[in-house]
Order: sequence, then structure tokens, then C-alpha cells
Amino acid sequence: MKQNHKITPEGTHDLLFEECLARREAERRLTEAFRVRGYHEVMTPGFEYYDVFTQSEAGIGQEVMYKMTDRHGRLIVMRPDSTMPIARLAATRLLNQPRPLRLYYDQPVYRSNPILIGREDENAQAGVELLGADGLRADLEVLTTAVESLFSCVPDFRLELGHAGFFHALAEQLSLSEDRLEDIRSAIESKNYAALDQILDALPASAAVDAMRRLPRLFGGEEVFEEAEKLCATPKAKETLSYLKKLYHAVQDLGLGDRLMVDLGLVQRNNYYTGVVFTAYTEEYGDAVLFGGRYDRLLEHYGCKMPAVGFGVNVDAVTKILLQNDEYPAVQEPQVLVHGDHGQAVAALRRAAKLTAQGICCETSLCETREEALNYAKSRNIPKVEFVEGKE
Amino acid sequence: MKPLRIALTKGRLEEKTVEMLEKIGLDCSAVHNKGRRLILPVGNGEIEVVLAKANDVITYVEHGVCDLGVVGKDTIMEKGGSYYELLNLGFGKCRFALAGPKGTDFFSGYRAKTIASKYPNVARSYFENKAMDVRIIKIEGSVELAPLLGLSDAIVDIVETGSTLKENGLEVIDTVCTISARLIANTASLKLRKSEIEALVEKMERVKEEQA
Repeated sequence: MKQNHKITPEGTHDLLFEECLARREAERRLTEAFRVRGYHEVMTPGFEYYDVFTQSEAGIGQEVMYKMTDRHGRLIVMRPDSTMPIARLAATRLLNQPRPLRLYYDQPVYRSNPILIGREDENAQAGVELLGADGLRADLEVLTTAVESLFSCVPDFRLELGHAGFFHALAEQLSLSEDRLEDIRSAIESKNYAALDQILDALPASAAVDAMRRLPRLFGGEEVFEEAEKLCATPKAKETLSYLKKLYHAVQDLGLGDRLMVDLGLVQRNNYYTGVVFTAYTEEYGDAVLFGGRYDRLLEHYGCKMPAVGFGVNVDAVTKILLQNDEYPAVQEPQVLVHGDHGQAVAALRRAAKLTAQGICCETSLCETREEALNYAKSRNIPKVEFVEGKE
Repeated sequence: MKPLRIALTKGRLEEKTVEMLEKIGLDCSAVHNKGRRLILPVGNGEIEVVLAKANDVITYVEHGVCDLGVVGKDTIMEKGGSYYELLNLGFGKCRFALAGPKGTDFFSGYRAKTIASKYPNVARSYFENKAMDVRIIKIEGSVELAPLLGLSDAIVDIVETGSTLKENGLEVIDTVCTISARLIANTASLKLRKSEIEALVEKMERVKEEQA
């Protein structure tokens, strides 16, 4: 049998030196931004029961989950997402905690991607979940935290806001089957104008059909609201738009200016999200670096009704950008080599401990003689060698 | 400002797209005299054309190293992926069809059928929609050979005129769907460079309508 003992599985890789420093730097900056906003860290198991993730609305297909069975034959999966385990946690162990709950995570997720498309199966993510609170203040707080955390790593990003409710308000007026609506939703998601037209041309003309047709094009600056208001005048749609507008202006005041966008065609996982949705993009990365939204129905799945909103940051993407921009601490090089003469190995270690206590990075010599130690220091560019003398 | 980068599927789609870009008024002389170069400036350097194989057009756009791409719907259906499909360009028209030996009734009988195709995913989703259990075999070259040699009962393939089928004693059993060239966009690019991309799409749409 061919042995795979010298390689890592496809979709995974080792991180070395600078990569680790950049990754830790990204994590440090992001989680610091979460902590100063009063969020507390939780860690959930690396693998959990499949049932935790089987909410069909959640949009995690079973084909992307890495599965195993436990000792009793029950299906378990490598954590494909952090929000659902945290929702489980909030609905069970934290049930009696005073709300709202402010939780954050910094842990990888695992998904099986098609081979050879250059996507990692292990993806580091960090994010926050604000559970047990709804309304403008809650949404705004999470958006602020998203902006601030991303700002600390990749200041040049664009944030776009959408609202799951707008699509629903339009869909309600069409009285179509679930399947047909899903076709429409997915055409809007992929901004596939041709496919959308094809579906909508088959429907009797109405204001809602026209509005649906425009939906994927309804992205941009503030002018989008005006156009959307004209397109759909039902009370529900109006309410959604005016709420989103309020959020938009509030976030704009955070200093985002024209880097804030609206996209009413943001309908990804639209049965999972129930309110505001948002994503962030940067020039350096071809996909979203941050994504989030309000998901008020998820916790029902775990037996506890609770509104919730949160977001996740693609830490791998942020790491890549920090690496590109040389924004990580330098690799610490030892300043001193401490060499103990014969019989002085322990004394040398003690001396080294004294130096490290002063914050000096040092190595202890593993060489037998002073000459070897000097040569070693030279070859490794260690500027100073200290000898701990032995009794001759 | 970085030029807007468009990946074109080499060959006929490339020619048709360049025609379209020229009608918009963009100077494409570099593409005509490309030599061996694969990245070519178009217009006054505001656009850069990249030439690639169909599957690679999607890969480049998906990863955001190209902002836009021109690729056939056939490749999009087979490869999938996540990107925006902005425009049906209207050229490169043909269709996906299920074809089998002339005079046989493909849908009769209860035996599981064997299908040969260069597009196994397209074939799979077509039969899934029909709730039919079929065996799919991927063939790289002339798929028409498979039923002739007795490897498969039918094929799912791109049909333009149908003359190759006819010459080999095959006929179209059913049209799976029609195909034409599409303009696709990277998800982040569309958001980050909205006005540039929208302006270009609008111009291309106008040319398309004029041609129709």
C-alpha cells in the first residue's frame, strides 16, 4: 500500500515561522477588538454530533462535512461552523445566564471542498455572537465590532449591508412554491440576470415581479434605497428598507463613508438569516473576508427561542493580507549564547534564566567546548557569547 | 488604477468578445497581434485581456485574479463554483442534448442505462431531475464513439448542427438545455469596482441588442 506518511491531507498545510507569527497577529488583533467590547471567549469541541448541524435552513450541505462515528455508531462531524455550536451552548448550558450573551470564538472550521480548486479544508475563523438581544442597538453594536475588528487588520475594506426581509417581502407577494422561490433566490444570489429573467418572464406581470427583477441590481450607495422604495411599496418592504437605512446612516457615521455599500440582492442563506446581513471585501482577496447577520430562528432548533446576531472573519484571508503587507512581529532571534564550561551546564541554564527574565532572548549552548560554541554563534548570527566558567 | 482584467476563453468566444469590445470602441490591436503573449492591454490600458482555457477562465475569476470572464454556459454548468453571472452575451449558441442510436426508445425498459459524456455533472443533474438511475462514464474525446462501440446506451453532449450525430447513426432524444457565452464576475470585484464593471456591462448589452 502506498504510504502517505510524508504529506498532509489535501486542503491542509503546515504553517511555518512568519506564517505562524502573522496568523497569531491576526488573531490577536481581532480578538482584542472583541474583548474590549465585552465579548467573552468560548471554545467548542473540534467534533460534534452531526445533529447539531442538520438544520436544513443553515445551508451546510452534508457533503461538505467531514464525518466519523463515535463508539456507539452515532454520526459525528468535524466542526464545519462555529455559530451553531455556540447557539447550542447558549440554548443549553448558558440558558439561565443573564442576557444578552456576548460570546466570541477563535477556532478553525473544517469543510470538504472539491479537490484542486485551491481552497483550504481547514479554515481559521474568528467572530462574535450577540445572543438574546434584537433591535437596532444590538445590530449596530455587532456591526461596529465587525468594523473595528477588521479595521485593526485590513483598514482598506468595503462593507455591504443587506436585509433578508426585503426578499421575503417580495416573495410573499408572488405566491410561488418553495422550489420556485429557491430558483429565484439562487439566481439573485449569483446575480444571474439571464436565469432570473427566464423565471420571471413566465410569471404574470406585477410590481413584485418587476421588483424581483431589479433585486440583483439593487446594490451601491444610498441611491439604492430610493430606487427600492419606488419598486416595492408594501408596508413590510417599507419597514425593512427604513430600518436598513437607519443602520446604513449609523454605520456611515462610524467613518466608513463611501466604503459602505448596500446590496439588497444579498440573499445568501436567506432562510437562515432573518434580518440584517453584511459582508466585507478587500482588494487583496477575491472573496468575502467577513460575513454575518441576524439569525433569530436558529436557537429554536436547540429548544430555546432567542434572537441572535453575529459575524465571522476569515482569519486565513486576514493572515494572508498581513503577510503580504509585512505586518507581523519579527521572528525573535537570540541575542546571547550562554555556554557553560565542563560541569557548568546547570549554572549556564541558571544564567540564561536570569537573562530571559530581563526579556533578553537567549540560547544555551549545546556544544562541548568554547571554540565550538563560538563557531556555532557565528554560524547562527548570535551577536554575543557568554561563558559560565568552570573550576579548572 | 489597476486595469480591469477580463479572462477570455481562447478561440471562437475570444474572437466574438473582441468583436464586441471593438464595437464598444476599445482598441483591441494588441489582441490581434498577440504573438505568444497571454496578457494583453485593450483600449487605453483600462482593460487587460487574459487568454485561457474555458475551465481556467472560471478558476481565475473565482479566485479574483481576473475580475471578469467570458465563458460558455456549458463550462459553467459542468464546473459550478461561486461567482456572478452577469450577462448572456448571445453568441456561441448551441445546446446540450441527450442522443442515442437512431430508432431506439431510450426511455423504455427498466434496465439502468449507461451514459457517456464529457460533461458528467451536467448528465448527472439532468437524470437526477428525471429521477432516473443511470450509470455515467466520463469520456474525454469523441463521445459519439461510446454508443457505437457498445459502451453506453446514449450520450450527453454539445450539439451544434447535429451532423456529426447523423453521420454516426445517432439522433437527438431530448434537449437538455441551450447554451451561449456568458459574462461572469468575481464576487468581490463586482462590489469593489461596481461603476467600472457596470459601465462595461451596459455597453456590451447595448452592442448585443444592436446585433439582435
